[in-house]
Amino acid sequence: MPHALSYMLEYLIFFVFATIAVVFALMVVLHRNPVIGALSLVVAFFALAVMYVLLEAPFLAALQVIVYAGAIMVLFLFVIMLLNLQHRTEEATRPVQQFLGFTTSAAFLISLVYYIGKYAVFGKLPDGRFASDARTIGIRLFEAYVFPFEMVSILLLAAIVGALLLSSRGAATRAEIPTEVSE
Amino acid sequence: MIPTHWFLILSAILFSIGVCGVLTRRNGITIFMSIELMVNAVNLTFLAYARQFHQLHGLIFVFFVMAIAAAEAAVGLAIFISLFHHRETIDVDEANLMHW
Repeated sequence: MPHALSYMLEYLIFFVFATIAVVFALMVVLHRNPVIGALSLVVAFFALAVMYVLLEAPFLAALQVIVYAGAIMVLFLFVIMLLNLQHRTEEATRPVQQFLGFTTSAAFLISLVYYIGKYAVFGKLPDGRFASDARTIGIRLFEAYVFPFEMVSILLLAAIVGALLLSSRGAATRAEIPTEVSE
Repeated sequence: MIPTHWFLILSAILFSIGVCGVLTRRNGITIFMSIELMVNAVNLTFLAYARQFHQLHGLIFVFFVMAIAAAEAAVGLAIFISLFHHRETIDVDEANLMHW
């Protein structure tokens, strides 16, 4: 009986957090205020972290909370604050573009779900625990994947330098890019 | 154990919401957040398959995707700051400097 109870509980957690993720993802797309969109995206990322725990990847769930919900979304909120966009709500888009966007993404969703149902046929899940803790991932990362790991460090350095260069309001960068373009 | 299909379908729904955001919105930062949503949907697929086949490669790929998404967010937001300095807007319809 405790087994059946934990089974039920797992499904309950899945459905509750899947609903939260979908609802807040829709909020990001449909709400016209970027601050509310960013905060909704934080909630959606937390719900996805719960999904990662259900998928037996607790290390990546922690990374999801720290890197996505913690770092990247704070960066988004800082930029929204810096550009003073929190009171600037976007006016309605052209109706044709909106209609085409909604129908295209709905058709895309329907075809994706159809082909997942048709072709993604899986056997039974393997028995035993999936060893995916921080220790196992760390060992794999520094043995088999050490070269991509170092490349990512160079990429992050390049991103830091690029971000500083692009966002600095120096005279050198301003002189090169024309402010006004004659139509 | 929840079947892998359900995670794939959740991932498909989130990805389609992201596509919808990119196609219908004009605020550059909202478009960027929709892209982050799509990246996360793909991460969920990677983890679902990793558990299905008990392979660590999927998890490590998700790790790299997160690192690259951080770099992408930093550079992309810097581009929007630069755009705002020059154009006083982040509406992507106004950013037609490279207009044919």
